[in-house]
Amino acid sequence: MELKILYFGMIAEITQKKEEILSVQEKCSLIELKNILKNEYQGLGSLSFKVAIDRKISTDSILLDSTNEIALLPPFSGG
Amino acid sequence: MKKSKKVFIEGPIPPSFIANSIEKHQTKTTIGAHDIFLGQVRADKIEDKVVQAIEYSSYIEMAQDKFDEIRETTFDKFEITCMHIYHSLGIVKAGEICLFVFVSSPHRKVAFRAIEFLVEKIKSEVPVFGKEIFEDQSHIWKVNQL
Repeated sequence: MELKILYFGMIAEITQKKEEILSVQEKCSLIELKNILKNEYQGLGSLSFKVAIDRKISTDSILLDSTNEIALLPPFSGG
Repeated sequence: MKKSKKVFIEGPIPPSFIANSIEKHQTKTTIGAHDIFLGQVRADKIEDKVVQAIEYSSYIEMAQDKFDEIRETTFDKFEITCMHIYHSLGIVKAGEICLFVFVSSPHRKVAFRAIEFLVEKIKSEVPVFGKEIFEDQSHIWKVNQL
């Protein structure tokens, strides 16, 4: 299946793009996706980031679906 | 769910905008106390370089949901009359205002507590990202201290 992934802040700088479509196996979990991305983008390994699925912060065990909007969020620094 | 209010402003928040906002409340005479928090961009010195500006970006759709949620939680928790939140996007120079939070209530103590609650929630839960830009145009990414 295909997943749409959004990148923000310093993460978009590491990936050098703001979004991409990634092909993964069916029933891919968030932790599996994180590992795929950390392999693809070396800079992500040492970084602490959160993942929002459909605009809500998610846990690693969740299974992803092709309709999900997935966003990688670096530490917040508003205000 | 209440209608979403516009929070983001392109560039710095002008002091005149804040003054206008105060003026608009003069017709609401059940209010006895306003509390205002203003976030200002600091010219931090980091390894001999001075921050000249912060460029803010956001996951806007999620941020808007979060602002709505925080607003509802604050209304549930505190007896306040009204509240307003404005946050900058894009470039804000050192010394300029990037966050304006305004809480009004009949009495002061509630306003003090509500404003602190709101600002802490905004800082820790809203996906806004600040890029600190130095004079030589190099940059680092800001991380909020919780």
